[in-house]
Amino acid sequence: MELELLTLFVMDTIVFFAIYLLVSVGLNIQMGYTGLPNFGIVASVAGGAYTVGWFVGRFAMMIYGIEGMDFINNNAYVVTQINAKLANDHLTAIMIFLLTMGLVIIVGMALGFITAYPAIRLSGDYLAMTLIAMAEAVRVIGIGFSPIAGGTLGVQVPDPFAWMGKMRYFGVIILILTISIITFLMVQLIINSPFGRLLRAVRDNEVTAESIGKNVVNVKIKAMILGSILASIAGALYSFYASATIPAAFTRYDWTFWAWLMMMVGGTGNNIGVLIGTLLVVLMRRLIAFYKFSLAAFLPFEPLWLELIGLGLVLILIMIFKPQGLLAEKPTRVRGVKSD
Amino acid sequence: MLPPILIEGLVYANIITLLSIGFTLTYLTSRIPNFAQGTFASVGIYVTFTVTKIWGLNVYLAVPVGFTLNALIATLIYKGILRTLKKHGASLVSLMISTLAIELLILAGINIYADIIQAKLWIISRTFLLKYLDFSYVGLPGIFIVLTIFVLSLTVVLYLFLNRTKFGIAMRAAVEDPDLASLLGVNVDLVSTVSWFLTGGLAGIAGCLIPLWFQSDPNTGSMLTVSIFASSVLGGLSSIYGAILGGYIIGLTEVMGNSVLTRLLGGWAAYYRLLIPLTILCLTLLKAPRGLVGLIESIQTRGYKLQLIRRR
Repeated sequence: MELELLTLFVMDTIVFFAIYLLVSVGLNIQMGYTGLPNFGIVASVAGGAYTVGWFVGRFAMMIYGIEGMDFINNNAYVVTQINAKLANDHLTAIMIFLLTMGLVIIVGMALGFITAYPAIRLSGDYLAMTLIAMAEAVRVIGIGFSPIAGGTLGVQVPDPFAWMGKMRYFGVIILILTISIITFLMVQLIINSPFGRLLRAVRDNEVTAESIGKNVVNVKIKAMILGSILASIAGALYSFYASATIPAAFTRYDWTFWAWLMMMVGGTGNNIGVLIGTLLVVLMRRLIAFYKFSLAAFLPFEPLWLELIGLGLVLILIMIFKPQGLLAEKPTRVRGVKSD
Repeated sequence: MLPPILIEGLVYANIITLLSIGFTLTYLTSRIPNFAQGTFASVGIYVTFTVTKIWGLNVYLAVPVGFTLNALIATLIYKGILRTLKKHGASLVSLMISTLAIELLILAGINIYADIIQAKLWIISRTFLLKYLDFSYVGLPGIFIVLTIFVLSLTVVLYLFLNRTKFGIAMRAAVEDPDLASLLGVNVDLVSTVSWFLTGGLAGIAGCLIPLWFQSDPNTGSMLTVSIFASSVLGGLSSIYGAILGGYIIGLTEVMGNSVLTRLLGGWAAYYRLLIPLTILCLTLLKAPRGLVGLIESIQTRGYKLQLIRRR
């Protein structure tokens, strides 16, 4: 029993770590490396999740020719039927998964492009206000417009991993972790490439970057798109993991604020630091969530609020005493150049 | 009598105005956009809840309590957290994210309070509406009369305070040029502290009156955030009168636009009420980033230039 609980805890931590890693690294590309404070990263996460909620079920209905049913209104029935078919048909299931991820990347690009529109025109506080407002709007549209992802109630998503049978739980987690790690390594490659150095140049001094012939606007748009794609993938994976999309879950605390906290704790502008920060924050949150029920016996209130207070204070203390985070940004390593 | 939609619009506009005056004031004096402004109002909501449901007193007695409590909380936040951060050389982005953290802290505090009330006193402490406690005079709801008179007199008082008193003039000087003002003996830090005190107090008053008109829970305040941003930015974030103008425009457009859209398109349009202030916010930032005040100023200077040309 103890061992089972421990496995559950470790697995839970791993999956949340992998998902949040994508969001915080995406944010790090935008804020840490390019200096665009994206206070609305939740919009991209929600975009990815909505895409999964909207697309997977309908596409599967089309493939299996389930007609006369509305995906949203007859959600539970349709999803059960599809799942039963997907369980014996792993080729279709994998194809659906890959196709959805492709669509999610396109949606992420589109959202990044839209959020880049204010990001290249405004700066600092005005940008932050606009992006917060935009992210709120994305959430409200998701809640209000039920054909996308079921509105307030959310939708169940057919499970393209149903064919894994009993190993489904572990299989999905390993898959999510693999995707996350591979994406992380790819981002590391990008950041250490000339393009990564260009991002930093734009952040440190826009005028200088422009004066040596770099297209600053273009670079900013690319950074916004790249970060947004990562966040959308995270949202999509989260929906696949939970087999559901609930638009009301995409609040600015749960995705924007936590992602910022992870980035600030680990080290703005240092992906390894962000990785450590994500791990620490996720571990803290999971520990609190895990001991919630034993705490609830002593407290006259929901222990969830203690988590908010604790992590809010952590952020403020980090900013007072260690503003660069646990690992400060290091100069990029370039072959043949000694830096330090 | 006044049509109900206008009353609804004006009540909402007054609340938004009070909140965006505060937002603009702290932005001007300490250069910190306070994203927790909406949540300050939530504290007021629970002051009213305590005064009416637990102590059983008149609703309007909550207003002075809410003002004081909230003003103290805001001052404490500025003195304890934001000023310390500034002293350690925090960037604008860190200050902004720390106001988000503060929002979280306040929200958690309110929720803990609500949970404790529910557990110990067995009173439902979420989603409540206290409309039935309000008085009405010649067919107008009390909150409408009180808020309108309060905002109008506040405008006059603020005008007199900023133009006729020594401290008000010092405040304007500190906004205009903090370095020069402090060189001339103005205590710039005191100015910021006072502005945070006022901000908290005004948000407290707005929050205290929200449950009289809207269904309230701990998140009600932060739902207003987008409208507060929109009205402050529309006002230009450069003067308090701009914030008042912006607050009324946003409040009225939001309520009236929403009612027109629901009538034209059906009930589902009500979900997208938030898109109205968002659209205005984006249009303002893209077309007239200095807001209404900037627009008025540029028209004035253009008129002045025309006069000069004509004289020649």
